[in-house]
Amino acid sequence: MKNNYNLLLVFLLFPFLINAQTKVSGKISDAKMNPIPGANIYIKDSYDGGTSKVDGTFSFKTNEKGAAVLIASFIGYKKYESNIDLKKGEMKIDIILEEEITQLNAVVVSAGSFEASDERKGVILKPLDVLTTGSTADLYSSLNTLPGAQTIGETEGLFVRGGSAAESKTIIDEMIVQKPFSSSVPDLPSRGRFSPMMFKGTVFSTGGYSAQYGQALSSALILKTQDMPNQTITAVNLMVLGFGGAHTQVWDKTAFSVEGGYYNLNPYNNVFKQRVDWDRSPSSLDLSANFRQRITKNGLLKAFVSYSKSDLSLYLPDLDNPPSKTFFRLKPENYYSNVSYRDIVGDWNLFGGFSYSLDKDKIDAGGNKISQDQSLIQGKFTANKKIFDTAYLTFGAEVHNTLYDDTYNQFNVKLEEVYTAGFAESDVYFTNDIAAKVGLRTEYSKILNKFNIAPRISFAYRLGNYDQLNFAYGRFYQTPEKNYLVQYDKFDYENADHYIANYQYIGEDKTFRIELYYKQYRNLVKGTIYSYPYFNLPVVPFSNDGNGYAKGIDIFWRDSRTLKYCDYWVSYSYLDTKREFSNYPTQAFPTFAAPHTFSVVFKRWFESISAYLAFTYIHASGRPYFNPNNPEFLGDRANSYNNLSMNISFIANWFNNYSVIFVSIDNIPGFANVYGYRYSSDGRISNAVVPPTLRSLFLGIFISIGQSNQNQ
Amino acid sequence: MKKPLIVLLSVICLVNLTYADGARYVSAMKKNISKMDSLYTLGDMADLTNSFLRIGDAEKNKWLPYYYASYLYVITSFTDTVSANKDGYLDRAVKVLALADSLQPDESEIYVIKGLISQARLQVDPMNRFMKYGAEMNANLKKAVMLDQTNPRPEYLMGMTSYYTPEQFGGGVKAAKVMFESALDKFNGFVPKDELMPTWGKKQLENFMKQIPQQ
Repeated sequence: MKNNYNLLLVFLLFPFLINAQTKVSGKISDAKMNPIPGANIYIKDSYDGGTSKVDGTFSFKTNEKGAAVLIASFIGYKKYESNIDLKKGEMKIDIILEEEITQLNAVVVSAGSFEASDERKGVILKPLDVLTTGSTADLYSSLNTLPGAQTIGETEGLFVRGGSAAESKTIIDEMIVQKPFSSSVPDLPSRGRFSPMMFKGTVFSTGGYSAQYGQALSSALILKTQDMPNQTITAVNLMVLGFGGAHTQVWDKTAFSVEGGYYNLNPYNNVFKQRVDWDRSPSSLDLSANFRQRITKNGLLKAFVSYSKSDLSLYLPDLDNPPSKTFFRLKPENYYSNVSYRDIVGDWNLFGGFSYSLDKDKIDAGGNKISQDQSLIQGKFTANKKIFDTAYLTFGAEVHNTLYDDTYNQFNVKLEEVYTAGFAESDVYFTNDIAAKVGLRTEYSKILNKFNIAPRISFAYRLGNYDQLNFAYGRFYQTPEKNYLVQYDKFDYENADHYIANYQYIGEDKTFRIELYYKQYRNLVKGTIYSYPYFNLPVVPFSNDGNGYAKGIDIFWRDSRTLKYCDYWVSYSYLDTKREFSNYPTQAFPTFAAPHTFSVVFKRWFESISAYLAFTYIHASGRPYFNPNNPEFLGDRANSYNNLSMNISFIANWFNNYSVIFVSIDNIPGFANVYGYRYSSDGRISNAVVPPTLRSLFLGIFISIGQSNQNQ
Repeated sequence: MKKPLIVLLSVICLVNLTYADGARYVSAMKKNISKMDSLYTLGDMADLTNSFLRIGDAEKNKWLPYYYASYLYVITSFTDTVSANKDGYLDRAVKVLALADSLQPDESEIYVIKGLISQARLQVDPMNRFMKYGAEMNANLKKAVMLDQTNPRPEYLMGMTSYYTPEQFGGGVKAAKVMFESALDKFNGFVPKDELMPTWGKKQLENFMKQIPQQ
């Protein structure tokens, strides 16, 4: 019986016996012996463990016995696992965690580019900034407040670091847009064709961009359209210039939206004094549709189609026969479509896209009937995969088929171009602080019958938590413009080399960025195209003998902390550039470049009246213009350009509908800006090139029906 | 005489052990849940979050430990005053909640946390994130209501959002109060499916409602 009692005692004591605990303690730190607080240190498959304190020390007790696995884990570090033998008593274990190199933790290579995104940290702009900057809610006019971009009032387009507008390309969902702007009349710039609301991400590269893109000597604007919309919504907008509406319907895995607008500047032009002799004020009709379908967990199909049509006519001064005027009418029509699919299959990140555009311009220039049609069929795919622990490979290819069909009265010219390109690019992370992007792009143009190979390389080195250094080198090729290609058949690619060094600090609410660059242009296309008066300039024969350079400094400062409710940014660009191209008889500072550009954007939120106020001031030093009386080619400079514009967005809730009233005024002080002068062929009469109005005003009401669903 | 006793004791012991295994989970969870009302420092929060994660990793097929860990990450992001840290906690909340979601699909409470994460994302930078995360939060909370009409937490969170949203944006105190009262009704009638299921929100709401100025 006594034995039984002993046995019973053993059973009774069993919990206490197994509770003979081990105390595990130690210190956890990184490779540089800095303590890691908050790490989870535990025995695998048990509940037993502890959390490291501020000084990295930890301590916990466990009832486990014998062979066990000790795990230590913390975000940003590789999981630590070690086999240990748990014995009664105390165990001291010091742990060193190895940093995990991931794209999320690693430095982002960002030489040459400004990014606006909601999704990524360390970006300079937010998508909302794009909408609320400048007076016109135009994507391109807000980019003009960033250093590197020139303010060229008389023409649309991005003029970057001494490059012409043709040297900048707009890319939507990986594919080049043939005509991001509608066609325009001389000295009257048109707006961007695509609403900034369409995009969730914007990367504005002022040089040194990735091997995934090509055909832009100076700059690439890389836009990513919105993914799946979140809610069914109807929007109505009323403006002084017209009206429009949109509806988005969202289902479980599908979304569809349509948008339309009609704009007519006639009433506006009648009220505000115009410096332009309009015959028919611009009017336009825009229609578009967007479709999204989630195919798999990560697979998203996007489709976008748009159509726009506009019409305008005016009388342009005929300087050779004053006071007579030349009639000019422009009727552009644009179709654009883009279908793309993105998915993750196994380890592969895949993208495939197809795009078709057709742009038709009908022009009546003083009785001459001109039509210019241009179509582009484009296909592209890219594949991305992690190849080593710390390296990613991206490769892909694209094909463009462009057809030009131009008619001038009875004359007709057709031209076909097939462009193919392949690229490979690798992102390598040496540590979380040092990263490189190395890429190679090769292109073949049927019309030139030539290949090219363009290397691109960039580095980033993180100095501290908030600042980094970037370097980039790249070679960029571009096929000459159609206007030249139809004239001469022995052209080669134009090319440019970019060298960029940049320092940036992106702290909480404060950003500073300084970038130095040097750009070398080679093989620029030369030649005199037009047979109409080219003054006393010599006729330049067609060749690829042009060249040039651009160098300068871009500085950007943004601060949204110092002043309460206020956010401002300041940009300054210094540019020194000379080039010999087109019909330039010698190297000269081009007409589309200003040595100094300075801009300030200031925004303030007024809680009490729910209004968002933004001021934009731009100053640009005078640009050269052609004066036939000056023996020095482009030896004259216009006065400097100044503009102060303002916009206010009032946010209101009418009948439970979220609404915005938007008012903007351009050139509030009424600066008498002159972009340059045009001369008669004999050089005796000149005419100032000026904006169509001294000031301009915009008023619009935007109502979203179904957005304020907090109340439902 | 000896033998049957040993057999009996062994059986009792075995039963005890298997029972203890389930009981160990329940008691560890209960202990952790009881600590949730007394978290004061970021250290306390990290400690408790890690403890839930350990239970989740050891159990492998229980969603609630991950649910609570995710919830705690969101609370930590609200608590940490360094705004640059907030998104990091929320990234972790998303990651851990995905584990819970895969173990327990279509769970109303998980969609509540999804909505809460959207709300926390929005609060990091309301001006810029209002459009995206406001809509995302609504979609998640609506789904939570759809999955369980009796769950009071979605409405409680909608009310809080409304309370802090200016009337121009469709919010306001008046609209919030309606939602609070409805949420409170639901809280009073809410019976958790078991003792480990979430009950948070009621006390917070009652305290909050006392502070709303009477108009």
